[in-house]
Amino acid sequence: MTVPLSEEQRDALQELMNISMGQAANALARLINAKITLSIPKIVLVSAGEFQRIFQSTEHWFTRQSFVGLVKGEVLTLLAKDGTNTIGKLLDYQIPMDEVSQEELLLELANILAGACLNVFSAQLGLNTKLSMPTMFSSQMRQAESYRWISTLLLEVEFQLEATPFDSRVVICLEGQSVDTLISRLNQLLED
Amino acid sequence: MAIPVTIADDSMLSRKTVRKALPPGWDIELTEACNGREALAAVNAGKADVLFLDLQMPELDGFQVLRELHEHHVKTVVIVISADIQPEAQKLVAELGAFRFLRKPLQPEQLAQTLAELGLI
Repeated sequence: MTVPLSEEQRDALQELMNISMGQAANALARLINAKITLSIPKIVLVSAGEFQRIFQSTEHWFTRQSFVGLVKGEVLTLLAKDGTNTIGKLLDYQIPMDEVSQEELLLELANILAGACLNVFSAQLGLNTKLSMPTMFSSQMRQAESYRWISTLLLEVEFQLEATPFDSRVVICLEGQSVDTLISRLNQLLED
Repeated sequence: MAIPVTIADDSMLSRKTVRKALPPGWDIELTEACNGREALAAVNAGKADVLFLDLQMPELDGFQVLRELHEHHVKTVVIVISADIQPEAQKLVAELGAFRFLRKPLQPEQLAQTLAELGLI
């Protein structure tokens, strides 16, 4: 389902996400000395059930982090299982990685990408969010019914490491009331 | 005489941000372009002695615009304003003859300083 946003609001939201994604990619690119390909940000409204479907992917590891501030929600980071070794190698991990090293690597990547995405996004709108540290997440841990909300706004960006199977998606999930706050902040920015 | 200046960016918000950051009193004639093709058309029509250029754009992207200008030895002063700030993008842009690389979100003071450094204001 598409969010009822005006063309101007959608444009602004996408551009703010572009900028956030750019800074996140830059942080990773400098760390591993490689080039990251950026996607066009996606903005969608989903129900709790549809949201649950994200976790059906067997090709990704998942981490989650929650944030509070003027808006509340969580940030999910999907990391391609296939590319874990590629990144590990670039960061001097011993391949094959043991479970502990692998988890450390995944959490570190999530921290860099999701951290920059949310912080830069939030700073541009003065949303003053604080993000928790990432934890590994498995879809079996939660059922759709356990979500407190009926629908959520997803802001999604994708990073690909050029010429490798590694890709990562960062999804910022906002709950109902926070969507209203976001839109009102967006309108302020547009009226300036 | 007013300097012909073009802002090329597919985002309305970003075009507005650049527009608002232009130094007050700078005597220019402003054109806006929504993609690389429009940016080149503006250059060819003599509307861009100075070109503020985004990199990620539909039709032609900023790199392609730079390549085209570079190949034809066009004298436009290009200032790239980009969300993609990776070292590789900055390096390529410099090789393709852009004068400056500014990162988004654009800071108005930085734009003014850049224009001053380039002797444009």
